[in-house]
Amino acid sequence: MHTESTSPTRAASADFLRLEGVHKRFAGVHALRGVDLSIAPGEIYHLLGENGCGKSTLIKIISGAQPPSAGRIYIDGVLQAALTPLQSLSLGIETVYQDLSLLPNMSVAENVALSEQLVKHHGRLARLFDSRELKRTAARALQAVNLPTTAAFLDNRVDELPIATRQLVAIARAIATSAKLVIMDEPTTSLTQKEVDALIQVINGLRANGVAVLFVSHKLDECIAIGGQAIVFRDGAKVAQAPIQDFSKAELGHLMTGKQLSQARYRVDAQCHQELLKVQDLTRNGFFEQVSFAVRQGEILGITGLLDSGRNELALALAGVEAADAGIIMLDARPLVLKTPADAIAHGIGYVPEDRISEGLFLGKSIRDNIVTTVLRKMQGKFGALNSAACQQLAEDTVERLQIATPDVDRAVQSLSGGNQQRVLIGRWLAINPRILILHGPTVGVDVGSKDIIYRIIQGLAEQGMGVILISDDLPELLQNCDRLLLMKKGRIAHHFDATDLSETDLYHHLVSDRN
Amino acid sequence: MTATTLLRSESESLDSVKKSNLLAVILKKHPPAFTFLLIVLVVLTVGLINPAFFQLAVLFDIIRACTVLGLFALGVMIVLAAGGIDVSFAAIAALTMYSITKVVMTYFPETHIAIILLAGALGGTGLGMLNGLLVDSLKAPSLIVTIGTQYLYRGILLTFVGTVFFMNVPVAMDNFGKLALWRHDTTEGLHAVLPATVLVLVLASALTWWLLNKTLMGRAVYAIGGSLAIAERLGYKLRSVHLFVFGYAGCLSGLAGIVHVSSSRLANPFDLVGSELDVIAAVILGGARITGGSGSVAGTLLGVVLVTLINNVLILAGVPSTWQKVIVGSFIVLAGAVFAAKREK
Repeated sequence: MHTESTSPTRAASADFLRLEGVHKRFAGVHALRGVDLSIAPGEIYHLLGENGCGKSTLIKIISGAQPPSAGRIYIDGVLQAALTPLQSLSLGIETVYQDLSLLPNMSVAENVALSEQLVKHHGRLARLFDSRELKRTAARALQAVNLPTTAAFLDNRVDELPIATRQLVAIARAIATSAKLVIMDEPTTSLTQKEVDALIQVINGLRANGVAVLFVSHKLDECIAIGGQAIVFRDGAKVAQAPIQDFSKAELGHLMTGKQLSQARYRVDAQCHQELLKVQDLTRNGFFEQVSFAVRQGEILGITGLLDSGRNELALALAGVEAADAGIIMLDARPLVLKTPADAIAHGIGYVPEDRISEGLFLGKSIRDNIVTTVLRKMQGKFGALNSAACQQLAEDTVERLQIATPDVDRAVQSLSGGNQQRVLIGRWLAINPRILILHGPTVGVDVGSKDIIYRIIQGLAEQGMGVILISDDLPELLQNCDRLLLMKKGRIAHHFDATDLSETDLYHHLVSDRN
Repeated sequence: MTATTLLRSESESLDSVKKSNLLAVILKKHPPAFTFLLIVLVVLTVGLINPAFFQLAVLFDIIRACTVLGLFALGVMIVLAAGGIDVSFAAIAALTMYSITKVVMTYFPETHIAIILLAGALGGTGLGMLNGLLVDSLKAPSLIVTIGTQYLYRGILLTFVGTVFFMNVPVAMDNFGKLALWRHDTTEGLHAVLPATVLVLVLASALTWWLLNKTLMGRAVYAIGGSLAIAERLGYKLRSVHLFVFGYAGCLSGLAGIVHVSSSRLANPFDLVGSELDVIAAVILGGARITGGSGSVAGTLLGVVLVTLINNVLILAGVPSTWQKVIVGSFIVLAGAVFAAKREK
């Protein structure tokens, strides 16, 4: 069990996991360049870095999903020559994957607790499984993440659950077994602040039980709130490791990107002209009621609120995805009928959805195909066939305009990083020359460098006279980019702020307080 | 707080379900309920038109006709549940039944039926596992692989084993086919016979249910059907599951072949061809999704009963046999619509 260690900071025998000189090469890409890393029990680590810095590859290697090209992995001091997913699990390494990796057709209980039975039987399938034990284990884990433990919930199919609940189910699976290391890859993307607070409790509980937690997130504030060691990656190598309190956010951003990032407002000197969009008493029964606001030309209006505040449904109503029941939407003082997304597009309202993977992009298709899809009619040549030269031109222009990092527009969108995928999606909507652009969580799961580029793009669009509605959870994002902010609660607009003289603390306070 | 909000939203969604009609709720929870409704519909319609339908002999005839189709369907269902599809089962059944009949007739005419059934099961398992091995190692879609192997198996049968009918089958098989579990002679002198071959289907159904619901392998089948990539990441051994599902489907096909020869009392190498779509139709009508990850024994059996009814009893209602296809087709389209609507929610 005990081996010598080269780790300077702690005793060798204390390390649960140790990586030495781990390299990973894919076809043409050197994703990890000699990573040394040690993880001690009962410690919390934050793996920080931009998308494409090698974080995901590192997680796949630790969880046995991919073998390293070179280097050694020690778990509990034992050299692991060929780590499989099952071995990694049975050695106590649990992973909450970014895509959650839940089986959609199976019940909550099975998703949470089947792995435990699988590990118990060493992956042999010719075994009976204990359904009572399964439910007991599942109920215990669900309780820890504040999910219901009723029989009905245990038997619920996972694909019938809302996304935030699924995220908690995935976390419950990771803590259902006696894990020694829990890896959480972006576990909070769909969670509200209260659920995040509950998750932090769970993490503290794990730490108290001697479990190590490796937390991967782009939300630096969350990482700082949780505390622990920061491990910063850039270009496939570890560039820093120290307690996270020792860094400022700006320093972390600098380490991750290699560039200096400003905390300053992107929004300066707004030139807002005449009123473009006016919404009056818009109501969708059960979701939001009597919402009224206006957006002027060249203005950026932020809308925020907790998950159940109705902000998502409001966005969908404006985009024609889920029509409102009552109220008026006026563009240029003329009332609109928005019953389908096609109506919205026809009036020049573009909607960039929150979940780019499932609601937006055709992942397997090329960048070009993804961009031209909203304007296929305009791209028609003779006999209604697509004018491929025009498509190519539009795609190349968009790639240049939005600084999408790709050698050519034939690349499949899934080969791009999150930030570049998001820019493809924005580019698609720019193709319709929108007068109003609704951006829903435009930087969810996007790294710091890409955020910077996306913010600059948004500002550029507003300068050209577009009206932008930015719906987001990310408070600094709203404060840095918007002219005005609407805060929604229980389906109504609870507050109306001028973003220029509002602090993040104030906004947060208003967001979570139960009073209107 | 989190728990309460979630509970609230859950109970709200339950309320909203209650508001929509009860039928939709039942269908959502139990897709085969739809199949059951169709069965009731067919039975009542045929029975109203021709009251002679309601008698024991007809019931037993239907059960007899269900046996082979049912064995095939259980195999197809388990492959579908694992996210694959098998269209080689009829070829497997034909190859094993004909080869075994020929060997037994030629060399061991006194073989006990238990040995023959075992040989059918083993032969089918072997051929099925070859499917599984190919699907797993080539990482090819199972539809392509099994279209290939069904030609292969059929070609081997007709080229190397034989093309001549056996008009007589081994004594043990003949007796097994005639064996009655229960016999009822009506006053009009009609015989209603419940054949013993149905026991094979009953046992196979029980075994399949047990495997799917009580073993880790059963859970792994649904897991892989839900998502191959995720299941692999969670530590499920794909190769074991592939070998199991295709092997098991092959095993049931081998048994179906022996039952088929025993009850029809002849071994025709050209038999069973073309039954593939009937079987897949039965499984789909039983509520299994073609995209994998679902399917139940009860639903599949109901689907089998429905297809058998349409194929066998509509004639009693004076429906021309050509119309049977129209009705099966309409039911499948209807089932597709109902199950698709279910998926929307």
